[in-house]
Amino acid sequence: MTAFLDIAGAEKGFGATRVLGGVDLAVARGEFVSLLGPSGCGKTTLLRIVAGLLRPDRGHVRLDGEDITRRPPHKRDVGVVFQSYALFPHLNVAENVAFGLRAQGTGKAESAAAVDRFLTLVQLGHLADRPVSALSGGQQQRVAVARALAVRPKLLLLDEPFSALDRKLREGMQIELRRLLRELGTTAIFVTHDQEEALTMSDRIAVMHGGAIEHLGTPEEVYSRPATPFALEFVGLSSRLPGRVVESMNGLLMVETPLGRLRAPGSFLPGSPVLLAVRPERIRVGGTGEGNAVLAPLTDVVFQGARVQMHFAGADGLPLLAEVSELPSGHLRPGAELPLHWAVRDMLVYPAPDRAAVA
Amino acid sequence: MTKRVDLFALSALPAVLYLLVIYAVPLLMLLTRSVTGAEGLTLAPYTAFLSDAFNWQIIANTLRVAGLVTLTCLVIGYPVAFALSWARGLAQAVLLLSIILPLSVGVVVKAFAWQIVLKRDGVVTAALMATGLFEEPPRLLFTETGLVLGAANVFLPFMILPIYSVAKLVDPRLTEAGATLGATPWKRFARITWPLTLPGVISGIAFTFSLSVSMYVIPSLLIGDRFQTLATLTGRSFLLMRNEALGSATAVLLLALAVAVVVGSTWFARRLGRAA
Repeated sequence: MTAFLDIAGAEKGFGATRVLGGVDLAVARGEFVSLLGPSGCGKTTLLRIVAGLLRPDRGHVRLDGEDITRRPPHKRDVGVVFQSYALFPHLNVAENVAFGLRAQGTGKAESAAAVDRFLTLVQLGHLADRPVSALSGGQQQRVAVARALAVRPKLLLLDEPFSALDRKLREGMQIELRRLLRELGTTAIFVTHDQEEALTMSDRIAVMHGGAIEHLGTPEEVYSRPATPFALEFVGLSSRLPGRVVESMNGLLMVETPLGRLRAPGSFLPGSPVLLAVRPERIRVGGTGEGNAVLAPLTDVVFQGARVQMHFAGADGLPLLAEVSELPSGHLRPGAELPLHWAVRDMLVYPAPDRAAVA
Repeated sequence: MTKRVDLFALSALPAVLYLLVIYAVPLLMLLTRSVTGAEGLTLAPYTAFLSDAFNWQIIANTLRVAGLVTLTCLVIGYPVAFALSWARGLAQAVLLLSIILPLSVGVVVKAFAWQIVLKRDGVVTAALMATGLFEEPPRLLFTETGLVLGAANVFLPFMILPIYSVAKLVDPRLTEAGATLGATPWKRFARITWPLTLPGVISGIAFTFSLSVSMYVIPSLLIGDRFQTLATLTGRSFLLMRNEALGSATAVLLLALAVAVVVGSTWFARRLGRAA
């Protein structure tokens, strides 16, 4: 199967700084892929290369079977929703949405019909004649989405479109946008630094770091089996322990850690330094069970509504974090030693990263 | 709230008083002088002036030269204003300085400088001859072309600076958004950049036109007495002909024409902006 969008070996540098170092990414038709990473990871640069607003130093971009690497943005059929929305301040809502259609020579009646349709889709039909400056942030964002979709682009790029909205509004709009794009069958690439946003919306997530994709996978894969320590740290919470492999047999490791010997799945040469990690909701507090077990003093309990975070201090001051839906019974005061245990398959193992890379 | 308004009104008071005393009052006196004859109120100076076909030629000269100067400044100045808004750091400082510094050189000095530049063996003529398009050296000094070139040079900053002040506020993301919506570079300019910079263009036109319609020294030095404009005629009527009635009438006419053209072009440009 050939990909709908195929980015191969995209490289970009500004002066001496290499922002993007040979990125490959294939996106299927109708797919929603997030580029997730901290600022400076190259995600916006990659987006601008796909839009044609930047030219890569090396590499190719193919869309729907055509090489568009050197094609100017107005001939690409790639829509963009900008972080600042970039609505035209001298035009009203309907004129903003009609802009692309009119610029491409669509007739007045036909574009008016399309404007109507897309404004209705984003639930702004009643504001068509308003100046864009009179709209709230959420409404402006919808106008930007309607404007980008009205020309029916082959591919829609979204550059942190929710970052200026408050949390409550953002969550509603994420689901709304996802539904809209699914209905229209629009292929989309979504840039964000917000892991929750990426997990909520994406078919697949590309975790980016230092100008490269560190992990590309479904939200479930990225969360439960992050490919690198960076992906682990960037998506979700975890407790991390340094260790050294003492025994390796049949895909099962015995690792010496400050918390004692722990078992983990994987194959490493005995003696290799490794990084172990476990997600907080995988740790059970109290009782007994199979797998890895440690005893640790409770340092803090943080009530978060649906969940309760329990912080523990492991040996050597290593913090351990457990997340439970209900507090275990008994006296829970800081200092109380509690048994923790988790399944061997929930232990994540990585080759020990360089110190510099962890910090 | 009322206190604030009072304070604003108060802060404008010095300027209002100043303009009232040294501008509005003399202007009123001028207007009065132009409509006062031996037997009280009269429009005789105007009717006399406007009934002479030669004077219509003078009005045409005035408007044509001012229009051409304004157009030249717009064509040259618009891209410069954008270069200025895109430039950063040292480049911007140098560019800005090279636009503002010439303002400190007197108009008389500049006009004399242009006499040297435009003369028969000057650099412009030499450059034009070097292109091989001319059989013999084209005459520039003491022609309308020379006048427009020299005047445009003097008034160019008054076109560039207002456009620059608006251009630097235009978000470059807007033209990028236009591009991703399928607009060609020309359409991006016509439908995004131009309408958004129009307020700057309008004030640039207003500045340049009102300055060039009333210029006196530059035409005197670059084209001489045989080419009359309303401004030079006004000067001659007062200084040489001692005809105060005529001078007052031409001065008022000049003012009326300048205001009409500035207001008219503003209105027209606004309409154009709305249609685009």
